[in-house]
Amino acid sequence: MSIRKIIDWAASQADGEMTGTIASPFFQLYDDAEGWVWACDVDIGQPEVLRSVPVASNNREIIYAEEGKSVSLKKMNQGRWVIAGLAKTVRSTTHIIYVSFEEDLAQIVGHTLTGYLVRPFTYGELGTLSPGGYGSLPYGARGRFDAHGNLVEILES
Amino acid sequence: MRMLTEAMEQALADGRRRPAYKILAFDSKVDSLSAVVTGNFTQEPFDLTPYCTEISWTPAQLGFTLADPKGIFHPDTGASRKYLGDGAIIRLKEGDSRVVEDNWVWTFTGQIRGQIGWRKSRRSKTLESKVTVFSRENTQAYKRRKITSKEYTVGTDIGVMLYDLCRSFLGLTEAEIRIPSVLGLQFRHQVNQVAQMTPWDAVSTILQTVCYVPFFDGEGRLACYNKSLSRPPDRVLPDYIRIFDYEIPARNQDAVNRVKVVFLDSQLEQVDGPYQKLGTAQITTGFFSMGEKLDTWWSEDHKQRASGTHLKVIKSVNSGLLPVGTESYQEIDQFHGRIKVEISVWVPILATAMIAAYIAAAAIPDEVVAPLGAGVTIPVGRIIQAGGMVAILVVMMSLGSAQYEVWGTPYDMAYLEKESIAVEDGISYWEENEKEIKNDFIGSHEQADTVAVTELIWEKSSSLPRRLLIDDDLALEMGDIVVLPDGRKFLVTNLAKQIKRGEVPILTLDGFKVMTA
Repeated sequence: MSIRKIIDWAASQADGEMTGTIASPFFQLYDDAEGWVWACDVDIGQPEVLRSVPVASNNREIIYAEEGKSVSLKKMNQGRWVIAGLAKTVRSTTHIIYVSFEEDLAQIVGHTLTGYLVRPFTYGELGTLSPGGYGSLPYGARGRFDAHGNLVEILES
Repeated sequence: MRMLTEAMEQALADGRRRPAYKILAFDSKVDSLSAVVTGNFTQEPFDLTPYCTEISWTPAQLGFTLADPKGIFHPDTGASRKYLGDGAIIRLKEGDSRVVEDNWVWTFTGQIRGQIGWRKSRRSKTLESKVTVFSRENTQAYKRRKITSKEYTVGTDIGVMLYDLCRSFLGLTEAEIRIPSVLGLQFRHQVNQVAQMTPWDAVSTILQTVCYVPFFDGEGRLACYNKSLSRPPDRVLPDYIRIFDYEIPARNQDAVNRVKVVFLDSQLEQVDGPYQKLGTAQITTGFFSMGEKLDTWWSEDHKQRASGTHLKVIKSVNSGLLPVGTESYQEIDQFHGRIKVEISVWVPILATAMIAAYIAAAAIPDEVVAPLGAGVTIPVGRIIQAGGMVAILVVMMSLGSAQYEVWGTPYDMAYLEKESIAVEDGISYWEENEKEIKNDFIGSHEQADTVAVTELIWEKSSSLPRRLLIDDDLALEMGDIVVLPDGRKFLVTNLAKQIKRGEVPILTLDGFKVMTA
């Protein structure tokens, strides 16, 4: 199979896929097929998270993933979503722009930035943001920052 | 907007218009559409004008009735049937009879698809044909076949990809493209490619990044219009254009009030997998080796990355009788690590020395010790030799196989999926009517914001449709913003007219009221 055919196949498979982030610990769920399956809640960027999304049966290693990890969801024939694996994309920041319309005039009246960004600490941040002061975090340590640049958490490297 | 020559503008402006037109047909087997559009054709076009009546025109379709008393266009026997066969190229040129034809403008270029209808009219007893010609973009070849393009690297202007696609998949030459070759937007990702899209969708997607919409103009060239409604108007309706009606058609649909643009940022983020066994290694070593180095990769294709790796010893080289060496592990890079087993120097030295001693002991004369009162002798040399053999065997018994596992956290680099959302202020979540645009050629929030806001204003404006009936204005094209005499702005999304000999056609403009940001 040529690279081009593989790309074509991947593009056609991408229909019916979605990316989300794990929003709860994994738990066992008694599903409609009367069997216990691993499942978790998944944040897909909507106001409500998707509840009790089962893990595809061939992908049990996913259940070791932590909250906040990006996962790929695939739609089953019945319209339900299933966690197919770790995702190649991660949901990140969302810029919302509010536009008002009056008569013939459209006007931008405000905007907000939501979401988060994970990046390595800068040299200065290693000294100011690490709890034990400079030297307690190794070079390359990463942190999760909110859309406005505030540190949310230090991630293990 | 179509540019008119000064002579043409003057002729239209003086109030005594004498509209004229010509419909020309080309045999597509002699000259390609490309050759016809660029003026490099070799045949003499067939002038259909004397045969044409009931001409209806839109940018997408040209229809007319062809009176054919002599049957020269009969699909089976007509002498000139090749000019109306499948794929035949038809062009419409409009102007004013007082102006030389060179100043007229091409308002339609297209091809006949399939077979024309041809019958004898019961009323006039003449042979006539209903001809429908479709514009260039209305071909299945552009809209059904799916294509995959070559890759373009970071920093390439998107116009380069657009031109390549037009050449490779639309069959256009540079002379047939009115869109600038540089669009001022560069790719942000390392690899950029169109995969499994129709050619027309691919062109539309590329132009979407700069808020443009493609279309084929009357000349048959690929052009585009800007969706931004903040741009200056294209045409202030001149005084000689009479306005017959300004209708407000009904529209019974919810308007889009939220536009979401999803794109992939060019930055990558590390996505960790579960902590797990990344690789195994097995080594057989001992006195015969000073040490072993074994590279362990986290995947067979050497592409898997991992962090925090460490060695787990399942079975050590020192699990024999003697501790013979040391085991260590070093993470070489994110893709592999190296297990190092070093055998202590004394092991091979001892083995070598004992072998030498064993050989040397073989030369010891068989001095015997005779126990009292017995008939056996014990050769002293053999005892010494046996001691050497024992030492050799101990060293040999200390060799063996060791087993190791390397554990760590595999990770991959993932693209950040970002969104820009333009939403009408003050609406609640349940009132939202969203339109989602996914475009991976957009690489930053700035680009996505522009697309989202432009699209939202466009959608909101298009929920206020208007229809304008005016004297034909040959300068107008799709996407033009027209200013009415009272200052109101109108965006043209479609045009239509019936062309009759000696009459100024009434042009129906469909579009919407322009909201400006």
